[in-house]
Parts: sequence; structure tokens; C-alpha cells
Amino acid sequence: MATAPLLLGAATPRYPRIVSINPCLDAILMQVADVRQIAAVSIYSQDPRATSIPLAQARRFAATSGTAEEVVALRPDLVVAGGHVAPATVAALARLHVHLVQYPVPADVEESAAQVRAVAAAIGHPDRGVALSALILASSRPASGRNIPALIWGAGGLVPGAGTLPDDLLRRAGFSNASSAYGLQRWDILPLEYLVARPPRVLLSVAAAEGGGERAERHPALARLGKRIAIAPFAARLMNCGGPSIIAAMARLRTVRAELVR
Amino acid sequence: MTRLSWWLLAGVLLAAALSLAAGKVWVPLDAWTAADPRSIIIVELRLPRTILALAVGAGLGVSGAAMQGYLRNPLADPGLFGVSSGAAFGAVCALYFGYAVQAWLLPGFALAGAAATMAALALIAGRSGSLILFTLAGMILTSITGSLTALAISLAPTPFVASEIVTWLMGALTDRSWDDVRVAVPLIAAGIALLARTGRSLDALTLGEQAARSMGVDPRRLQLAVIAGIALAVGASVAAAGIIGFVGLIVPHLVRPFAGHRPSATLLPSALGGALLLTVADCVVRLAPTVSELRLGIAMSMLGGPFFFYLLVSMRRRLA
Amino acid sequence: MTVLAAQRLSLTLGGKPVLHAVEAAFAAGRVTALLGPNGAGKSSLLACLAGLQHPVAGRAMLGEGDVRALPAQQRARRIGFLPQAADVHWNIDVATLVGLGRLPWRGRWGETDEDRAAVTQALAATGMAGFARRGVEHLSGGERARALLARVLAGRPEWLLADEPLASLDPAHQLEVGAQLRAVAAAGSGVVLVVHDLNLAARLADDVVLLRDGGVIAAGPAATTLTATLVGETYGLTVETGITASGQRYIVPVATTS
Repeated sequence: MATAPLLLGAATPRYPRIVSINPCLDAILMQVADVRQIAAVSIYSQDPRATSIPLAQARRFAATSGTAEEVVALRPDLVVAGGHVAPATVAALARLHVHLVQYPVPADVEESAAQVRAVAAAIGHPDRGVALSALILASSRPASGRNIPALIWGAGGLVPGAGTLPDDLLRRAGFSNASSAYGLQRWDILPLEYLVARPPRVLLSVAAAEGGGERAERHPALARLGKRIAIAPFAARLMNCGGPSIIAAMARLRTVRAELVR
Repeated sequence: MTRLSWWLLAGVLLAAALSLAAGKVWVPLDAWTAADPRSIIIVELRLPRTILALAVGAGLGVSGAAMQGYLRNPLADPGLFGVSSGAAFGAVCALYFGYAVQAWLLPGFALAGAAATMAALALIAGRSGSLILFTLAGMILTSITGSLTALAISLAPTPFVASEIVTWLMGALTDRSWDDVRVAVPLIAAGIALLARTGRSLDALTLGEQAARSMGVDPRRLQLAVIAGIALAVGASVAAAGIIGFVGLIVPHLVRPFAGHRPSATLLPSALGGALLLTVADCVVRLAPTVSELRLGIAMSMLGGPFFFYLLVSMRRRLA
Repeated sequence: MTVLAAQRLSLTLGGKPVLHAVEAAFAAGRVTALLGPNGAGKSSLLACLAGLQHPVAGRAMLGEGDVRALPAQQRARRIGFLPQAADVHWNIDVATLVGLGRLPWRGRWGETDEDRAAVTQALAATGMAGFARRGVEHLSGGERARALLARVLAGRPEWLLADEPLASLDPAHQLEVGAQLRAVAAAGSGVVLVVHDLNLAARLADDVVLLRDGGVIAAGPAATTLTATLVGETYGLTVETGITASGQRYIVPVATTS
């Protein structure tokens, strides 16, 4: 059952043919890659609930669900993926000599910017990567003034803590992340009790952005809390990925802060 | 081989052919020559996947038939032993500690989990052939390993690791390779061989344990053979594909009226029927119009629910 | 033909002593009945003789050697055991059920002509030939008892040990199957039965062993051992015995003594 290394030639072409199986990387590719280079995006980018790019744009491309079978059929020069790919798929791609590069979720803005430059370089457009990275860093220039205690309240009460990208965004926008005050780790579920006992100044609520929310968010205690603190809608889309969405996330956070200071 | 077995074999071959062609990338027959790049999909991805589906299905089918014969209970499932739950816990440990990067570590951990659970079962169930003790021991082990697995999920450092573990547990044959085949198939074959030899003793057990012993059955040896056979077949299946339930329960049940109710007569048809069922199910999950492939374990569970309902209805009709 | 015997056999079950130094010998070609009240140890003695229980002292002998020393398959071929519990866990048909009796004889390859002949013969002997394709779940209690007996007969054992084989049969079938058991003995096998029914014992048995509280009260030919005194002592009853007009012995319990 010997298979020739069919897909990797003598040298990678200047503009490699790419398949992306991660919606966050799709967002980066939309900004730095040529349309012709992209053989397929992730199927999640075509799902309105999970996408990080405009649907109309996503639907112009073919999509895969991330299995080696589908990827191999497209004969890419390069496959880009996030940090968590099924072990079987990673092994299958390696065995079939398909070049896979994984970009784990960035822990802060600097790492995300570096990742953007790395992706752009890998696909043959390092200049675009430098440009996008500069935009990202510019949008995240640290704010001046007093730090306002804030908490991002995700689905099911999931709170990003120190060492995550949302934490870095908060601090750069002029907030302090109240999660460490509760002793939370990187990603933790915060019991409502603690939240109500020591509320932050503003709660950035994913549920409020979706206009619905699970039990934790609909909880009467939380509703009454709204009278004492500010609850600002904060779309989950803004913290799912690094890359270009950082620009939108920072804009949102600065808007919220400006309204509070007023 | 009986007529039923020939029919099932024919079905298995058809299903295997379908499995090679079908998927989100439909590969027609004329693309199977070496020149076409899609032939790589057939040879490196679909062929090992099909072989695994056949092997895992056969292993689970025979394990179910042997389990039902041994416990004299048509509702027994190989999962009752705790071996599948123990194997799953082993695999979850590999995922939790991030060891799954190396291709062979995940199945290795799963097999270690299966072996440890089997040893614990043999130890707890003890010298007696007591079915009650045996069933209780299996339930205890399932419960313990299940809680430890849930603990691992809850302690996962990021939601992504937790999601990865949960997804793996739901069972799938996606992107499996010849490496997986090399690990799983010999072990499953060994398990099936062990269980095949218990056929006569299981038949004797139809008359109860005392009568079986008077006909020369050694209950201790039979118990060890059943435990070892099921540990090998089910442990290797979990290592390759995650937790796939209901095959061991449904298939022997379905073949029994046609194969003749004697436990030994249900063994081969259950192997063939299990292979057929799982291969067809694997084709269906690939062809289903869902965003990504439907998880195979989930598909089997969805089959299992209505099957139980049908069982209940037919039992009520018989008892009324 | 070899002799089946218990030599100073003692058995303890679950901490309780069940048999005390029982001495008994059973002859081939004869039907022996084990009689006694509940808890006397009849079924336990039968199980020890079949090699299914491990005595705590003494031994059960088959010929010159200990029953438990025999290889399992040989023991299975020489001793046919019919337990009291009439379990049949799967709805197999009668022919398959009786065919199970051939398991100790089956080699690597499937059924032989001898297997088929033995099964046919056993079905005929118990009057179950017409039920061969019937599923076990569709049999009456009596039919099931006969089918299970046919299973043991199919094994053509030297020794047939049966625990209450006639208990659920109506009088007509009791006579029929009883006659079959006597025929088996007449053909050279030894038959040892546990029976509750005194009159049945009187009719069928050549020899009897009377047990009470794990010990042997008396043993010997039925004609001389089934006296009113000995039976009364065994069961704690006063009984009347007699002979019917056709020469059949009868035993009728009258009152309890204790």
C-alpha cells in the first residue's frame, strides 16, 4: 500500500493552494489570501451561528467538514487548522503526505498578530500579513485612564480568565478582568452566587447579545443585578477567534467603556 | 453454514462495496484505478475504514451473542461487563493528558483500560460462577469508570479539550487508517475466536448451571473465556472507534428467531449481522446531509431507542 | 458393571452440615429410590454422587475411583444428571433440547448418525416424538418434564441420576415414564431417583435408601425396607401399608407422630 508523495512537489509553489478547516483561520485568509488560492473553507464558516466572516463571502467557496477524506480530494498544497483536530485526521493527513499546519488559539493580541503574519507568510503574501497585523495592533493600543472592573459572561456562565485572549482585550480596552478576583482559572464557570456577592462594574453578556440565553442568564438574581450594574451585550463572535475579529471586538469594548465613563 | 449466514454474508459484501464508494466525496467505480488521485481515498481511507467497520461490527455482534448466552438473558449487552467503559476511560486519559498526539498511544491506553477492567472483573467476580455477583461486578466497574470519565471531562483545562473528549466518546470511524486496522483487527479476531469456542458450553447452560456442569462444562474456564474474548473484541473496538452501543444488543436479538434460539447458533449470524449493520450505519453517517459526519455511536443510539420501543410493544402483546 | 457408592460421605453447605458419613451402595441394572423428608439431604446426596458437589469428608465412588477424579467429559458420558429445576432458558425446540444430551459425546464435527439415533430413541421412549419441532415455551409442565428426561436418556449414560423426574406428571404419564425408567435399568444402566411420592417409590424402586437429617435410617430392597416402622421413623409419621388386589404395594400416611 505504498502511496507516492503525490501532493507535495519539489518546492511549495509561491501561492499555494489552501484548504482551511477552521473558521477563525478562514477569517484571516479572507484578508490575506487570493480568492483563487482558497480551495475550501470550513463548513462552519457557512453556518450563520458559527461564522466569523460574512455569509455571502463564505458561500462563494467550497466547504469541507474537516475530514481527511474531503481534504485529500481537493489536492491542497497546504492545510491550515486550529489547535484541536481529531487525532485520526491528523494522522491520516500525515500519512498521505499532506502538509498540515496547526495554529493554536492565541493567548493574547501579540500572539494573534504574530499568527496572522505567520499564516500570510505561509501562503505567499507576507506583506498582507504585516499590514493586517499592524491594523490589529493599532486597534488594540492600550487605553489610558482608570481601569473599570468588568466580566465577560459567556454561554452557560463560562468566563474567560487570565491568560486568554478576551482577558487581554479587556485590559487593553481599559477594563480590569474581575475573574481573578473570584479565583477563576483560564476558562471557568462562575457560580451566580459569587457574581451577585461581588459584582463587577459592567457585565459583558453574550446572552444579552443573542437576545435569549440559558437559565443562568435569565436567572432573576441576575436580572435584579442589572439594576445595580451595567449589562452590555457582547456577541460571542467577538471572542471566538483572534485575527481580524480583534478589531471589531476592541471597537465594541471601547464603545462600552465610553458609555460608562460618560 | 446455514442459509441465514449465506444471506448475511452476501449482505456484508454488498455493504462493503457501498462503503468503499460512498461518502461526502462520492468515488465512482471508474476512479478506482491507480492513476486517478481519488484512488488514494479508496486505498488509504475508505478501505481501512470499511475493514474496521466490518471487524468492529462482527466483534460487537459476537460479544453480544456470547454475553446473552452466558447470562441467559436476551437483554444483555457487552457494555454490561464494564470493559467498554474501562477502555473508554483509558482513551479519555490519553486525550486529557494530551498524549493522543502519537497515533498509537490512544489505542494503547484504551487497551490498557480494557485489560485492567477485565482483570478487576475476574478478581471481583471470583471463583464462583455466580451470575448475580458477575453482573454486579460489571455494573460497579461501569459506574466507577464512567464517573472517572465524567471527572476528566469536568476537569478539562479548556472547553476545547472537553469538547474533544466528548466528541471522541460518541464514537466514529472517520479517517481511520491502516495503523488502526493493524492494532484492532488481530485483537478482535482473537476475541471472536475465543468466543466461538464457547458455543457448546453456552448451549449446555440453556439447562441451567447444574445441568451444564453435569454435562462437563467448567464454569470457571467458561467465565474466563467469555471475559477474555469480550475484553479483546470490545476493548479493541473501543480503542479504534470510541463507544458504539446497541450492536451487541440488537443484532443477536434480531437473528435469534431465524437462527434457532440455541446460543451457539446465534454466534456466526451475529458476527455477520453486526458487520452488516455497522458498515451500513457507517455509510449512512457519511451520506447524511448534516454539517459534519454524524457520530457513529450517536447513530447507533438513535437506532437503539426505537428498537427498544418495538421490543416493549411486542413483549406487551405476548404477555397480554 | 461398576458400582456407584457413597463411602462415609459428609457434606457441609453454607456452613450447615447436610450429610453425615453416609454409606450407601447402588447397583447397576436396578432402580434405587432416595426417600426422606424435606431437608434430609436427598438432593445433596444425589449431587455428590454425580460429582457436582465436593464432599467435606468421605467420597463418592464410581467403580474403583473417586467420581470427582474422573475427567469432566468422561464423567458427563457415564453419569446423566437430571436436576430438579426444570430450567430451559431459550425457546429451543424439543429436538434441539434432547440433542443437548449428546454434548458429552460430540466431537469436533457436527452431529453423527449415532447422535441422531440416540435422540430419536429418547424421544420415542418418552412419548415426545410428535413434539420434536415444538418450542419449549409451548409445552405443558408434564411435556417439559418428559422432554428434559429425554435429554438425559439421549446421552445413554451408565448411570441415570434424577431429582424428582416425575413430580409434575399426571398419573398416566407417571406410569409411562416410570416404565421407561425401569426399562433403562433393565437394559443395564443404574438408576437412582429422588422421589417424594411413597407409592411411586414402592412401584418403581428395586432398592430404597431412607434418609433423615443427613443420615441413613435404612437401606435395602424395597420389599423389605419399606415397612411401616421404618417409613414412619424416617418421616415422623404413622403409616399403613398393604398390597392391592393386583399385587401392588401401597403406603398411606395416617397421622404425624411428633
